[in-house]
Amino acid sequence: MLKILIPTIMLFPTIWLSPSKWVWTTTTLQSLIIALVSLSWINWSSETGWASSNLYMGTDPLSTPLLVLTCWLLPLMILASQNHIKAEPIARQRNYITLLASLQTFLIMAFGATEIIMFYIMFEATLIPTLIIITRWGNQAVRLSAGTYFLFYTLAGSLPLLVALLLLHQNTGSLSMLIIQYSQPMALSSWGDKIWWAGCLIAFLVKMPLYGVHLWLPKAHVEAPVAGSMVLATILLKLGGYGMMRMMLMLDPLSKDMVYPVIALALWGVLMTGSICLRQTDLKSLIAYSSVSHMGLVAGGILIQTPWGFTGALVLMIAHGLVSSALFCLANTTYERTHSRTMILARGMQIIFPLTAVWWFLSNLANLALPPLPNLMGELVIITALFNWSPWTLILTGAGTLITAAYSLYLFLMSQRGPLPQHIINLQPFHTREHLLMILHLLPVALLITKPEIMWGWWY
Amino acid sequence: MASQLSRVWSGLCRARINSAHLRRAVSQSRTSSAAGAASVTDLQPAAHADDSHGHAEVNPFDKNPDYHGFSDDPFIDEWNMRLAFFFSISMAIVIGGTFIHYLPDHGMRQWARREAERLVVLREAQGLPLIDENYYDPSKIVLPSSSDE
Repeated sequence: MLKILIPTIMLFPTIWLSPSKWVWTTTTLQSLIIALVSLSWINWSSETGWASSNLYMGTDPLSTPLLVLTCWLLPLMILASQNHIKAEPIARQRNYITLLASLQTFLIMAFGATEIIMFYIMFEATLIPTLIIITRWGNQAVRLSAGTYFLFYTLAGSLPLLVALLLLHQNTGSLSMLIIQYSQPMALSSWGDKIWWAGCLIAFLVKMPLYGVHLWLPKAHVEAPVAGSMVLATILLKLGGYGMMRMMLMLDPLSKDMVYPVIALALWGVLMTGSICLRQTDLKSLIAYSSVSHMGLVAGGILIQTPWGFTGALVLMIAHGLVSSALFCLANTTYERTHSRTMILARGMQIIFPLTAVWWFLSNLANLALPPLPNLMGELVIITALFNWSPWTLILTGAGTLITAAYSLYLFLMSQRGPLPQHIINLQPFHTREHLLMILHLLPVALLITKPEIMWGWWY
Repeated sequence: MASQLSRVWSGLCRARINSAHLRRAVSQSRTSSAAGAASVTDLQPAAHADDSHGHAEVNPFDKNPDYHGFSDDPFIDEWNMRLAFFFSISMAIVIGGTFIHYLPDHGMRQWARREAERLVVLREAQGLPLIDENYYDPSKIVLPSSSDE
């Protein structure tokens, strides 16, 4: 654990002490080396359970894929921001990279925590850098309201969680995940227990986000700079899914009946947010709603609490993290050239950027779950798990995949095909950096399906 | 067709005017940043509100035709590109991918599969059922007698 955490913390001296011309280069390289070393987590020393270096930090098959994804994302965020931040004064550039690196530090500690309270603290700590990134480096004045939404939705959800956790600590005497998974199922029956059950999950459901409490997400995504959108889509939403998987273990006897409305809402959300995507005019908003739709499926898979549900949820979280981040990067490349997120103002880009149209095409196909990719694997496993629970869910999940395909094609057609608008003249060619960025998103997705068992979670 | 051509031409003219303006702006900012201070052109994108409605930009390809999108300085740009490619593709993807591919067989599942296939072939050749009805020898299982209860 520390072999990753200490180099990550050492990013801060790198950022502030390297010569101003080489800041971006050195931080990219150091974060890439951290990402490479982080792969060693996947090499399991223990056959079952946790591999922990000490009492407070440890990895298990559930957190490992998310930890590796966190480490992989930092170099990608740095590469993606390089073009639009480099016009600012050097101190502010260093500040920006510092925020990204601190986000990675908090996330590693959140996913690596074995104590639920420490997970909670780190879960909350990620709010601060994300909020600063959104409200300081967003593009329009609306970013302030987006920041307010982001902060207060998350806080309102997570304060009940703190109370619920303290109550749990009082009842069981420990909040260590190493111990608590072996504790006796609690006899939960009263109304207070039911409120406690909801308190344990609401924070994560808001973070996922569940349909109904998702309104902060499109705002935050649309207003955030590209690195903010990337980290939100890739890791921060998954923090909700991860927390839910951890908590579901303890809520067992009560969950069987309590999850009905939540599953219904999640699956209904898949349909509704998918339909909202079909009538979006804003590029980033469409991708944000598509994230909500996919995360609805993940929430369904987790709440169903079967081995297949958990596995599918984790696979879909990893695959969706990489693919939606790729889509946000592509949206940003268009934005940096046309200075508009409105899709109708930037049509027919295939004519001028043919190679980028290939990236758009591949990312969209991955987003709609094209057969060999892990996105399909995740969706199918979740849909099967839900179908096994109740055949009627197939109507919702099936329609959901259909709508996903529809809006992915809509996104591709709107941005790449059609006539080139007459005001589009003199766009900058694509940079090598942007092609590299896309490769670094899509190649791992393709490689992961050759060894998907590393992201099967507890059933690895 | 003619109208399209004239539009392209006017666009090109505008681009050349912009780049002529901006080349000066870039060189100014470079000299001042060499002195260690952030100049105004660093803080604000160069404003050419009159001829481009505030959307004028420095075209880095004017200054450095081999621009890779990393840095305005061609030397740093090229080395940043080389290092980023080496450490991401050659190191992380290739070495990391090889590492993951050759990870030890977790939980001996691949071994179990191979062993099962070998046993199936063996037992079919011997004409035995694939798995015996009594997987454990019943004589070795000690059950409590029913009268104990």
